Amino acid sequence: MNSVQIITDALSLGGIYALTALGIGLVFSVLRLANFAHAELVTVAGYALLIGVGLPLPLVLFMAAAASVLVAMATERLAFRPLRHVDQTTMLVSSFAVSILIQNIFVFFSGSRAKGVDILPALARQVSVLGADVSMVKLTTIAVCGATLVGLISFLRFTRLGLEMRAASQDFSMARNLGVRADRVILIAFALSGILAAVVGVLFVAEVGFVQPRLGLQLVIISFVGTVIGGLGNLTGAMVGGFLIGFIATLLQTFLPLELREFREAFLFGIVILILLVRPHGLFPARHLKERV
Amino acid sequence: MKNLQSFVAASVLATAASVTAAQAEDTVKIGFVMSYSGWFQQIDAATIKGAELAVAEINENGGILGRQIEILPFDNKSEPPLGADGALEVIGNGATAVMLPSDFDFGAPGAFVAQQNGVIALSGASDPKFGVTGIGPYAYSISNAAQSQGALLAEWALNEQGWDTAYVLLDNTISYTNSLCDSFAKRWKEIAPEGSLLGEDRFRNDDASIASQVTRIKGLEAQPEAIMMCSYAPGGPSAIRQLRAAGVTSPVLTGESLDGDYWIGIVPDLSDFYVVNYGSVYGDDPSEAVNGFFTRYEAATGGRADVSYALRGYSMIEAYATAANRAGSLDADAVSAELNKFDEEPLVIGNTTFNEDLHIATTRPMLVMQAQDGKFSAVGRFAASVGNLD
Repeated sequence: MNSVQIITDALSLGGIYALTALGIGLVFSVLRLANFAHAELVTVAGYALLIGVGLPLPLVLFMAAAASVLVAMATERLAFRPLRHVDQTTMLVSSFAVSILIQNIFVFFSGSRAKGVDILPALARQVSVLGADVSMVKLTTIAVCGATLVGLISFLRFTRLGLEMRAASQDFSMARNLGVRADRVILIAFALSGILAAVVGVLFVAEVGFVQPRLGLQLVIISFVGTVIGGLGNLTGAMVGGFLIGFIATLLQTFLPLELREFREAFLFGIVILILLVRPHGLFPARHLKERV
Repeated sequence: MKNLQSFVAASVLATAASVTAAQAEDTVKIGFVMSYSGWFQQIDAATIKGAELAVAEINENGGILGRQIEILPFDNKSEPPLGADGALEVIGNGATAVMLPSDFDFGAPGAFVAQQNGVIALSGASDPKFGVTGIGPYAYSISNAAQSQGALLAEWALNEQGWDTAYVLLDNTISYTNSLCDSFAKRWKEIAPEGSLLGEDRFRNDDASIASQVTRIKGLEAQPEAIMMCSYAPGGPSAIRQLRAAGVTSPVLTGESLDGDYWIGIVPDLSDFYVVNYGSVYGDDPSEAVNGFFTRYEAATGGRADVSYALRGYSMIEAYATAANRAGSLDADAVSAELNKFDEEPLVIGNTTFNEDLHIATTRPMLVMQAQDGKFSAVGRFAASVGNLD
């Protein structure tokens, strides 16, 4: 098998997982909330594409991003902010509730059946890279994931808001004492996670060609595992963890013998457990989260 | 307030009971314990509508044993265990037959209850376990067994199309697709030269990408002349989309789980796609009975069917009514004895044969449909030459 193709497969899948893991990680780092409703932010972007079929591409992409960001900010304001001062598990339960609610809204308006969406049909072709046929969808996915990562890192590194977010993720109460406004930082984290979800939604739909109410679910479950092995609360960790999961999944599917291939998930999660046994706080532990013994 | 509520509840129950008692004498009751809501609803909907059409037509022609058929609906809400509650309820209300969802896992809980209470259970499950071995002698499936669909496609690809090499791409999420691909591979190896099955691979319906599987196919020395893909929507069509986007143009074959055109938007302009189902909804079926059925179905429901499953619902009721009329009784043993005598019985779904051990079709012809440039059309009816259910 051609190694260029395998690397492209791994990079594009890893990129999708990395952006999803980062979206979850951003919210976790400032709010300590594993937001399972992140799946629905991906789904919302998908349905925005469905609604926008026939409109000019830039407008459709804007609609997808706007939809995810609006829903992300609305859930923060309505479902999480009022619960911020109670037990953290309450917020977790609230995120499940939001997730199921949004899924059912889609079932109500659009039915449970998948709907075909042929976004970016121009990408359904091959280009030759280093002697291998590589799909344009995959190359675009890799490029867009890369650009989004660079954009996000620049934002966190070079803007005042980014600085505040990094400070808040290190030590939230200290950051507040030093003048960081909690409401604003958390809202921005949700908005950013919405943008990341929209990017993932568009790329994912371009590849699979459909939307359905549970579109983002499996992606988010796998990516959440990525944030955990990367180190919960650490953004570099989330990114690396997401890529790692994509790489391991691709390599397992490629190199496991047929008889074992149907147990791919068992191997994947077996490797995850091994990583966590060796490094219980993930590959890049967030320092402030470690238990003090 | 509480007293008033219980009074209202009691009088509603009393009214319901007296209505039931009054009708008990004059109607033949068939329970429809189906998924009227929830995610399985999309799969059961056409079966229910087909069965309702059969009930209406049979009633117009005098009903069963001169009595009108009455449908007792129960919604299992796409929760298999509720099927048992539903079966108990409709049997309690006098049902002598129960129609259950078209899947073994969804249909079995209700079918066990029917079996225990001496009531015929009907389903479109394509798993032969829905019958004597898995449920008991009162359980019948109107479908073609998944195993026979795989064998049919292997014989058709090799003998009718002359495709010399094949590749198996199995979505192993559900048992139907496993049986389908296993039987294809088994039959192919029996009738084709050694080495002509170029490879096998697995994926899951909710996989984010099947890139590695596509890369493996592209890495073969020669591209397969046919790809047997066992899956269902949305993962199946999405897999075809990914194959085509990567430049894999081999014909794709599959079973009834990808019946219908509701998913075609996932792979616009799909070509070289072949699927077996029960009949064409486009009016080009080789069987005039099927074309006539879908014309009446459209008139009755106000829209073209988007899958062929309505034929199953229709023929389940057709089979039950035929057997009960011949038996001259609604007794499950008598009806079952008549069903077991079905030898090429001309039902709309096709000539159907049951016997004491086999309560599902194996060698009944199925329709091969093709998609070219995004349009479906009938190719012809073909049957597996063997009915191996291993």
